[in-house]
Amino acid sequence: MAVPSALQTVGRHLLTDIPRPTPEVGVRPTSFDRLFAEEYARVTAIARRVLGDPAAAEDVAQEVFLDLHRRFGENPGAKAPAWARTAAAHLALNVIRSNRRRAGREERYAIEPSLAHDPQAAVEAAETGRAVRAALARIPRRQATVLALRYSGLSYAEMASALGIRVNAVGTRLRRAEARLRKEVGDASV
Amino acid sequence: MHPSDGTLRRSLDEPVAVDATNQAHLATCGRCAARVRRMSADAAAVHTMLVSPEAVVDVATSRARLARREAETAGAQGSQWPARRTWSGNRRTSRVMAGIAVAAAASVVLVATGTAQDFLSIFQPSQVTAVPVTAADVRSLAGLASYGTVTGGSTINFQPEPDAAAAASAAGLGVPVVAALPAGTPAAPKYAIVSGGMVTFTFDATLAGAAATRAGGQLPAMPAGLDGSTLSVSIQPAVVVSYGVDPATLLQGGAGVPSGPAFILVATRTPTVTSTGVTARQLEDYLLSVPGIPAEVASEIRAVGNPAVTLPVPIPIDLASGSSVIINGARGLLIGDSTGLGSAVVWQHNGVVDAIAGTLTVNEVLGVARSTH
Repeated sequence: MAVPSALQTVGRHLLTDIPRPTPEVGVRPTSFDRLFAEEYARVTAIARRVLGDPAAAEDVAQEVFLDLHRRFGENPGAKAPAWARTAAAHLALNVIRSNRRRAGREERYAIEPSLAHDPQAAVEAAETGRAVRAALARIPRRQATVLALRYSGLSYAEMASALGIRVNAVGTRLRRAEARLRKEVGDASV
Repeated sequence: MHPSDGTLRRSLDEPVAVDATNQAHLATCGRCAARVRRMSADAAAVHTMLVSPEAVVDVATSRARLARREAETAGAQGSQWPARRTWSGNRRTSRVMAGIAVAAAASVVLVATGTAQDFLSIFQPSQVTAVPVTAADVRSLAGLASYGTVTGGSTINFQPEPDAAAAASAAGLGVPVVAALPAGTPAAPKYAIVSGGMVTFTFDATLAGAAATRAGGQLPAMPAGLDGSTLSVSIQPAVVVSYGVDPATLLQGGAGVPSGPAFILVATRTPTVTSTGVTARQLEDYLLSVPGIPAEVASEIRAVGNPAVTLPVPIPIDLASGSSVIINGARGLLIGDSTGLGSAVVWQHNGVVDAIAGTLTVNEVLGVARSTH
């Protein structure tokens, strides 16, 4: 009895105690609403990996979901999460490649808040951040994309889905991307 | 033949995905060990470059912002698509949240009540192993409640504690200390106590007969003394140490969405068990043979071996995968959430069951577990 009892207990919690969407009186959430609730934090995190700036990352996430809603409507379908994740990486990479005004913004963020008491460390952190963003802009887009996805916490299966490649190929691409980024940043003498 | 770079790189992040042949090779090949070290160094350097302080994303506010932008755009474009309603609810359904909740609920339940019920037949298990189940299996097994009467253990009561000393005093148990936190994890943990209690199961032949009929079968021959037999479990208080997430709020469906690493650590002493009537093993064997229990699950549970030393942990195969690991000399079970957003590990040592679960990679959760003392 003991083992089934434990299965029963865990099953009860898995199926009934996990937080569910809170019903909203008079309004039925759409698939897009659910997708937004489920994916927004992840999409923001992906953009954050590339940009290093939380405000800029939120801007990118907003653009991604605006475009997603425009393209796919209220029922975006099963492939939408993968689309949104890849779009976040691509759009963020576009930002660091084209928006020269980011430098000042990033520097302001870099000195907040933990380094504010140490100006020298703040300057070095800002320089390192700029070098990393510049390196991300130089390396092949598909390598920069896999780095953004991986260091945002995506599994290999999720990366394969987002990138449209086999799971077995993800590790190879990631390995090359890490070696390339490290070389690029190192060559920049950071 | 040496594994590919891709396989070696994946072994750093998802070791459970590496097949047995490659694992055996990696354990003995010096050349591949050197390759892994180089990859690990590059990965660590890139991690340092890319990881920055995490901010908690307010999904509801962000959704409202998007709704405003869409309304503005729709007006500017002559209502190309309808203006969206405003976002009035605070939805808490992110996969990150669900991932934590699955792991947290499973861990807390396993330690606070689930293992207690396992211990009805196990008493002093010294290791854990996985039993794969599907959602359908879980629904079938849930029907076992109709074979008798369960009292207690239906609620989890959290009592926040101000610090480790207070938690230790309240639980009568040393509070685990994590020496190595994953990057980005809040350094200051929160403490809570899960209260102990008593759980009993009393077998009822009349209820069981009715349940078997509903399942389309008949009860097998019943051992003498089974009807009315009772097993009682005394559950010990559990200490909950949480980093980046409030477990009590989480299990009640609240809390914000943590965008960075977050996990909980649960520790409790082995519950004590008493029984009347038949032995726990007899009761287990009987219930595994009643109508409605999936044959494959019954077979898996029987295949676990001697339940006196091994704790079977159910792993929903559509949500997670399990593998055996060693934590500071003790055998444990590593549970990887199949979404890739969370993982957990459960192990037992010196009469204490420890569990860690959260939005960590399997490597991170193993690192945390092995640094715990």
